[in-house]
Amino acid sequence: MAYSDKVLDHYNNPRNVGSFSKEDPDVGTGVVGAPECGDVMKLQLKINDNGVIQDARFKTFGCGSAIASSSYVTELVKGKHIDEAMAIKNTVIVKELNLPPVKIHCSVLAEDAIKAAIADWKTRKGATADDTKIEPSKAAGSGE
Amino acid sequence: MTLQCPSCGREQEPQLICQQCGMPLPVELDCFAALGLPRKLTIDLPALEERYHDLGKRIHPDRFASSPPRVRSASLSGAALLTRSYRTLRDPVSRGLYWLELNGEKLAENNKQVPAELAETVFEVQEQLAELREAGAGDGALRREVEKRRVELGLAMDELREGLARNFIRWDRSDGSDRAELVAELKSILSKIAYMRTLIRDVDRELDSPRTA
Repeated sequence: MAYSDKVLDHYNNPRNVGSFSKEDPDVGTGVVGAPECGDVMKLQLKINDNGVIQDARFKTFGCGSAIASSSYVTELVKGKHIDEAMAIKNTVIVKELNLPPVKIHCSVLAEDAIKAAIADWKTRKGATADDTKIEPSKAAGSGE
Repeated sequence: MTLQCPSCGREQEPQLICQQCGMPLPVELDCFAALGLPRKLTIDLPALEERYHDLGKRIHPDRFASSPPRVRSASLSGAALLTRSYRTLRDPVSRGLYWLELNGEKLAENNKQVPAELAETVFEVQEQLAELREAGAGDGALRREVEKRRVELGLAMDELREGLARNFIRWDRSDGSDRAELVAELKSILSKIAYMRTLIRDVDRELDSPRTA
């Protein structure tokens, strides 16, 4: 199957590959996978207190379309408010990269990665803010 | 639900080949039915292979070269269905995936979370592979480390496959009351196998690459 020029461009020159420190309180990390093909994608977003995405990094182990989708997403979300970023649909990625139907799940994966990273950031911010009240791990009663 | 053989008129359970006249029957069957097997996940592989070869001979299009087009076409589509079914059921992973499909379940539905421990392994090993790529043939110690990792991943894969076999046994014994739990377990094991398979493929690719050998 032939990849589109845009996929090849992102695949050969991926933008924003790498990691932020997981300890950084401003960083939300989303790790998602596509169980149909075994691709794993990690997306990290650096988000300021106003909820604006300052920077993004990704590491994706999988096919060219999965790498291109995550690379494109790191460019797409920069400067956006998390509410805007949450509203990003995979169809935008499909359109930009001209993904064929069999590779649409790669764009879904990238969409899920954004949501997972933002959710992680919110949890961590919430946890810090609540530190003075209750520790969620103890209060939740995981049954162990 | 029975089927009438268009060649001899015998009413019978839907199957590939008429049990009375031996002519191919024009019928759509699931993979288990195509091979004349009960819908059970635990399959005796030597018996499966024997059945495949036996049915394959009996439905082979060469045998019906001078038959009417209706029969020839049934033999062609039956032979294709037989091969497809055999390949699907032969491998436990594709059998498990097919089972989900038969049960109207989708592997990826509500299943995007990579188990944390496995994700950690993936990133760690991929990190090592990237280092190995950069170091090239020069770094024997790193290569040996990756080789050791490869053995561990192989063992982990064996464990996952054993877990899959245990899940199959549970399905076969189930009265249906624990269906949801069995679906969740099957999806979880098949996903882990998929991630592990991709990782092992990447490790093997790097170890086999002339750059690092």
